[in-house]
Amino acid sequence: MQNLLNAATLGSIYLLFALGMALVWGTIGILNFAHGATFMFSAFVGHLVTRDTELPFVAVVLIAVLVGAAIAALIQLLAFRPILKRSKNQHAAEMRILIGGIGVAAIPLALAQHVTRSSPFGFRSSYDAEVIQFLGLRLTTTAAVVIVAGLAIGIGLTVWVRRSRQGLALRAIGVDAETAAGMGVNRTVLAFGTMATAGALAGLAGALLTFQLGAIAPETGDQLLIKAFAVIVLGGLGSMAGTVIGAYVLAGAETLVLHLNYGTWVDAVSFGLIFLILLARPQGLFGRKEVRRT
Amino acid sequence: MGSAARTRRTLLAGLAACAVFATAACGSSAEGGSGGGIQSTIKIAQVQDQTGAIAYAGLGASEGAELAIEEIDEQGFLGPGVKVELAKYDTAGEIERASSEMTKAMGDRDVDVIIGPAATQQAAAVAPLVGRQKVPTVFTQAGGDGVVVNDYTFRATPPMESYYEQVLDHLKQKGATNISVLYNATFPTFALLGEDAVPEMAKARGMNIVQSLPVQTTTQDFAGQSQQIAQKRPDALVMLLIAPQSVTALRQLKDAGYDNRIVATSVQAAGNIAAAGADADGLVYPVPFSTAMDGESSVAFTAAFREKYRKDPTPYAADGYDAMWFIARAIKASGDSSREGIRQGLATVAKEGFTGAMGKLTFEGNDARIDGALVQWRDGKETLAQ
Repeated sequence: MQNLLNAATLGSIYLLFALGMALVWGTIGILNFAHGATFMFSAFVGHLVTRDTELPFVAVVLIAVLVGAAIAALIQLLAFRPILKRSKNQHAAEMRILIGGIGVAAIPLALAQHVTRSSPFGFRSSYDAEVIQFLGLRLTTTAAVVIVAGLAIGIGLTVWVRRSRQGLALRAIGVDAETAAGMGVNRTVLAFGTMATAGALAGLAGALLTFQLGAIAPETGDQLLIKAFAVIVLGGLGSMAGTVIGAYVLAGAETLVLHLNYGTWVDAVSFGLIFLILLARPQGLFGRKEVRRT
Repeated sequence: MGSAARTRRTLLAGLAACAVFATAACGSSAEGGSGGGIQSTIKIAQVQDQTGAIAYAGLGASEGAELAIEEIDEQGFLGPGVKVELAKYDTAGEIERASSEMTKAMGDRDVDVIIGPAATQQAAAVAPLVGRQKVPTVFTQAGGDGVVVNDYTFRATPPMESYYEQVLDHLKQKGATNISVLYNATFPTFALLGEDAVPEMAKARGMNIVQSLPVQTTTQDFAGQSQQIAQKRPDALVMLLIAPQSVTALRQLKDAGYDNRIVATSVQAAGNIAAAGADADGLVYPVPFSTAMDGESSVAFTAAFREKYRKDPTPYAADGYDAMWFIARAIKASGDSSREGIRQGLATVAKEGFTGAMGKLTFEGNDARIDGALVQWRDGKETLAQ
């Protein structure tokens, strides 16, 4: 049971990080490799602010959310939108956006590494996690917040993308941006808003994860990027529900491997499992098979 | 052929001969004089991380090396008017970059000696190159295997397992019998310690390893391992993790209810454990250098460093300082600042040992050995552990 709780916490961490990336990739087709840097730099700004002033939990989270949204909006404005404008179509832009994201990510990473000398950094906060014990299980208050936030936002986002008009518009852009524009969908505004939302989610993940782990390093975001990529592919691109399930499947596999004390095999087993699932279902657990009419 | 043409040919041949001799002379002096002597400017390349995941090691070593250079120049240690110049090459935390920067440094004929990468994987990648190119290289940190592999490779920071015995002695003294080990098995130094050195040292002292938990460098969450350790309730935990991992592990160990002894490594030094706050209080770890050390040479180094930089030195600064003084002593010993002269000088100084920021340094072959110090972290600072 304790392992289930651990898996739920770990899965919620992966989910909170992956949600933003899944949202933009699955809807407006942007594979944002600057997502990890956004996550990290949002937490880093929180660290800088709390270096001199101790702040409560909510204030730190709010700062990170706002910074994350701002960074992502700037990246969309200054990098991705110009790339899209100069490209013949969405497909042609994909590789350029990928490379552009990697390039952009190097800047906040270098800044944070320079200031911290790559030492770990955390927050000075009046919040102090407590341990809740029940039925022989242990859970910290931070882990509880992470689990609730992960599930609530994951499910909420899934429902919103599936049921709301804006969600429908986003999905339309993902299928065929030109036709969607022709149907009156304002691509520019929606893309901007989606990126800002994804950035806010990255900031939220950055703050919560830093509280949960105690500290992160400038390189933490990049390490999580691969996991997020795997979660989204496993769950099925375009499926928010798939991302939710994928995060917990990956976390469950990792927790099991750790419980069996094969700690150095975690990545190999987890990604091996994903590979096997994709062999059987190339579209991922909840992705739809693509149908092309010739 | 007319006499004018003959004269032109003779002049051209003479000019060509002069050019050849001049080039040969320049080449000779780039190798450090005609087989001996100390040049007026000695160029030392520091090929270490100035950016990247372990930038703190390279930047710290730079500060220590620059302090040493200041002292060497001011004292005229290598002779009147002899200056030491430090050229920095950034390996940026990448093995490929380390190879290319080392190649660049070795290709610069003005570079007489190199302070090599601090990360074991980078150092092990370049160590064979160093031997092939015959460029004496002094590594700092880089405590894993495959670094000190030929006559041109030297290591000024002893490998961690060479001074880790005092940790096990400390645990024995505190009455620990059952020990758990939590270690990063994909970090060469910790893999060596966790899988070989610590179990051997524990066995030799009649202690039992009741639990051995390997993790990867990419492991960020230690809730599961912390709970396993708390359930096992060992007398002590040997924690061999990199800086951000150790901060998380300390927090999660407390959350899991583990409150017995924890010992760690010098990676926790240089304030890297500060982010753990009160969760790190009581943590004990061995260091090659600490401001808490009370030996004369260590105290003098700390004072000089504080005066120059207005902050406390880290073990990495002490590494860089001692590496630079190792090189200076080598040049003085051989009286020759050529690459081969420095290599011979390093070998000579290694046989004798010397005293530096880390205290008394002796060598096993080309590999430094020190006593080190055992420190305890409490309330944001290190004190000597009792």
